[in-house]
Amino acid sequence: MTAQSPFTWRAGGCHCGGVRFEVAVPDRVEAQSCNCSMCEKTGFVHVIVPESRFRIVRGRERLTEYTFNTRVAKHLFCSECGVKAFYRPRSNPDGWSVNARCLDEAEGLEIVVEAFDGKNWEANAASLAHLSKEPA
Amino acid sequence: MTRLEGQCHCGAVAVRLETPTPVGELPFRACQCGFCRRHGAATTSDPAGRITIACAPDALSRYRFGQKLSNFLMCDTCGVYVGSLMEADGAAFAILNVRGVDLPGFAGRVPESKTYDDETPEARTARRKALWSPVNLALLETSA
Repeated sequence: MTAQSPFTWRAGGCHCGGVRFEVAVPDRVEAQSCNCSMCEKTGFVHVIVPESRFRIVRGRERLTEYTFNTRVAKHLFCSECGVKAFYRPRSNPDGWSVNARCLDEAEGLEIVVEAFDGKNWEANAASLAHLSKEPA
Repeated sequence: MTRLEGQCHCGAVAVRLETPTPVGELPFRACQCGFCRRHGAATTSDPAGRITIACAPDALSRYRFGQKLSNFLMCDTCGVYVGSLMEADGAAFAILNVRGVDLPGFAGRVPESKTYDDETPEARTARRKALWSPVNLALLETSA
């Protein structure tokens, strides 16, 4: 990432501390709160980024994978505390979705949450596709 | 009699809350601790009611932290935070994560924000005994 990057690497993780990640995001992060059955049950608030803007710092071996339906999304949770800090979303399988609830509090970081109608996923998922595209 | 049923995402863990209290009068709480915030949890319980949690013996993960007075129960398959279980004086008490198990009757309600950071272990146990529900943990034999 160059000095002109509009992104800052921010840290986060699960509750027990076993899983830690970093994600490069702007200071004002737009996040999606989804109403689908899976996101409602896990309280997941999405910050979707391209592959190059996410890295697992530790705890890869502690992650349990859960799939259902089309099995495209790879839902990942900490096997110790159950927290789903990030996963491979079906809307953006080329990138990652980080849970805004799992970002460490940091100075200058503002999270703006908007609603996403995941109950009608087929009609709405395409509106998220650009979020995981790498810069040209 | 109110009878509310729910389950985790994969269905391995089923729950029930039976109570004489109308569902609209049940508490709906959003604890602000780091665990509950990360799970987006909002919970309910009723000392006048009874909670049943039913699953195979190996279906639940138990997680303890902080004062380690209770077990936080997660589905081992889908990771959903189902509820919390405390044992005290030979009895067991529980809350359910309304969102995690999609308990009906809470749609449109905003949970009451709660912070319990300054509680002593004694006060915490007493509060839970007063507000949480008696619980049956039914460990089912699987047919497989």
